[in-house]
Amino acid sequence: MKLNVVGKSVVRVDAYSKVTGSALYPQDIYLDDMVYGKTLRSERPHAKINIDVTEAEEIQGVLKVFTYKDVPKENIHGVVLKDHEVFASEKVIRIGEPIAFIVAESEKVCDEAYNKVKIEYEDLPAVFDPVEAMKEDAPKVHGESNIIFNYKLRHGDIEEGKKKCKYIVENTYYSPMVEHAFLQPEAGLAYLEEDGTLVVAVATQYPHYDREEIAINLGIPEENIKVINTAVGGAFGAREDISPQIHLALAAYTLKRPIKVIYSREESFLTHSKRHSMTMKYKTGADEDGFLQYMEAEIIGDSGAHCSWAINVLRKAGVHATGPYVIPNVKVDTYAVYTNNPFTGAMRGFGATQVPIAHEQQMDILAEKLGMDPIEFRMKNIFRLGSTTATGQVLVDSVPLDKCIEEVNEHFNFSEEAKEGAI
Amino acid sequence: MKKIGKGIGVSFYGTGYGNGFPDVSRAIIRLLPEGKIGIYCGVTEVGQGAKTSMRQIAAEVLGLGVEDIELVHENTSLMPDSGTAAATRQTYNTGNAIKIACENMRTELFKKTKEALSLNSTAGLVLENGEIILGFFPQKRISFKELAEIYKGEKILEASGEFTAQTTQMDEETGQGAPYWPYTFNACAVEVEVDTNTGIVNLLRATFAQDAGRAVNPQLLEGQMDGGFAMGLGYALFEDLNIENGKMKNNKFSKYLIPTAMDMIDIKNIIVEDPESTAPYGAKGIGEPVMIPIAPAILNAIYDAIGVRIKELPVTPEKLMKAIRESA
Repeated sequence: MKLNVVGKSVVRVDAYSKVTGSALYPQDIYLDDMVYGKTLRSERPHAKINIDVTEAEEIQGVLKVFTYKDVPKENIHGVVLKDHEVFASEKVIRIGEPIAFIVAESEKVCDEAYNKVKIEYEDLPAVFDPVEAMKEDAPKVHGESNIIFNYKLRHGDIEEGKKKCKYIVENTYYSPMVEHAFLQPEAGLAYLEEDGTLVVAVATQYPHYDREEIAINLGIPEENIKVINTAVGGAFGAREDISPQIHLALAAYTLKRPIKVIYSREESFLTHSKRHSMTMKYKTGADEDGFLQYMEAEIIGDSGAHCSWAINVLRKAGVHATGPYVIPNVKVDTYAVYTNNPFTGAMRGFGATQVPIAHEQQMDILAEKLGMDPIEFRMKNIFRLGSTTATGQVLVDSVPLDKCIEEVNEHFNFSEEAKEGAI
Repeated sequence: MKKIGKGIGVSFYGTGYGNGFPDVSRAIIRLLPEGKIGIYCGVTEVGQGAKTSMRQIAAEVLGLGVEDIELVHENTSLMPDSGTAAATRQTYNTGNAIKIACENMRTELFKKTKEALSLNSTAGLVLENGEIILGFFPQKRISFKELAEIYKGEKILEASGEFTAQTTQMDEETGQGAPYWPYTFNACAVEVEVDTNTGIVNLLRATFAQDAGRAVNPQLLEGQMDGGFAMGLGYALFEDLNIENGKMKNNKFSKYLIPTAMDMIDIKNIIVEDPESTAPYGAKGIGEPVMIPIAPAILNAIYDAIGVRIKELPVTPEKLMKAIRESA
């Protein structure tokens, strides 16, 4: 197919505005008569709370201190399960959970009022280790059980598979929570247009979904809300869970004043999700000819205090747990578990980033035991056109993994070196 | 002592929401004054290059240059929903929706050309450089600009397109099903130098091959590969939130270390093309997969260098020195 534009390295259309600084990020926008907001966040991981905003609201220049009592409709949000409170009501379940939103004429007054909001904490037993959290007697973050989700993958007969193996290697791997580290911390503005349309301008990954959540919290129709997506300074999954949008919308809608909020880097760390930490227990076996016959894995993901995308992330981890290899006998269990840690959610790779830490080391360990080089062992076992995955899916189109490995091997010569080593 | 080793990591990655969840993208195309084309579509630019690659797909279908395409994608009141800029789904899903919408627009343009030029049918019409031309009698031609003059105001020419990705829900007891489509593949090899006295790991060289189905914009794709590599490198060697009793101690960039340009090397990036038949011009998404094989390649290279397996990330100097001591 002859193509004219697709396949060409066209200069990105937003490059010039970004390198010259003219791209408009939310903190670059100023409106007349604008007020400022600041979020008061939990300092405890698990505690009952009592909030008193009277003194803060008496400060000159403070327009209002919003708490859960001021949310007109639903005080909850969340991408899969509605388990985030817009503002914590009876208890906090993690450090950084929003409790109140201070609105004042200036940022300085916001800071002043911040220290006048009285929060009484009554600490509750907390749980920080997902394995501990799975136990029946563990403190509960939400409801009756901390186990949000268990994905079960069953393929072939693992007992039969084991019998065919010459080597089975067993190891436990751990990958920690990490931060998306996008450059532009959360910021945004909200205001009312003349016809009453509520406008929220933020950097987001999904403006239509933000609009839906704002509508639910405020109890107003979606068509009365407009979300403007400004320039986005990186996202990597962290801008999927709604963040300052609801607080801004609530303040502008209630006070009928334009409002702006800018998070500091520290608040940004506290605000958005992290990558799921995972404990990955792997057993992988190959027969004497170097063909993979068996894999068993138990993967426990720490969801922290909110579900966010945990169900989808742990499902994706389970589906990708075998790596791109044909393994006839597979048993995988993945679990998503609540704790009182920072919450975890979407991050580049979405559950499929963690599992290769385990399966790729397992492959090298098996290859070494079999006396094969890592390329030879992989080429025997990888997905090719027509292969069947552990979920029973047939790969019928575009599977150029062999080509990728050959390209890499051409520059690194893993095979050649192994041969030399053998001599 | 400094020891050198090399390692490989490979991966596959399923595109889209998956598990049978409705994964829908929509786009509306309008003929604008001056003969430009407007795409109205909720495709978010988060740095990945969507603003550019979506225009390229539209320009390809309609025989225009990228500069003739305007993209309205920042206002929920003006554009239809195209799902989230996540799950490596925008190039494949929304790219398809835009391609379909543009193909529908092409049909509309041909119909109007037939009327305007008094032709018997639309057969034989082609699009070239902003003009609709009867290929075998090129004297018969009309430009987008001329059509835009005719179809302005309330008569404006418009077409829409929608694409829904195909996946199936998985069985609850066995996990069997077709959870994602398409899958993207890659392989990365790195060479590292490990200082066994300090525990510091240095990258020496790297080769990274990424399946793209087809590269819509090779330079942007390589940019993603470089960025993904840096993110994978940080995951492997640096990044530690230091969470204790629910509190992040490393909550700013002076404490939470991510790679800088000083930590990066020139990576040999290789784009592997093998067009996917269900994708727009064969293009698969690569936004997420580009970071996945990096950390495992580094871990395998560390083992190759010093014979010690590190099973817990990140491989900080302290952790590496501890592992070396324990293995001795």
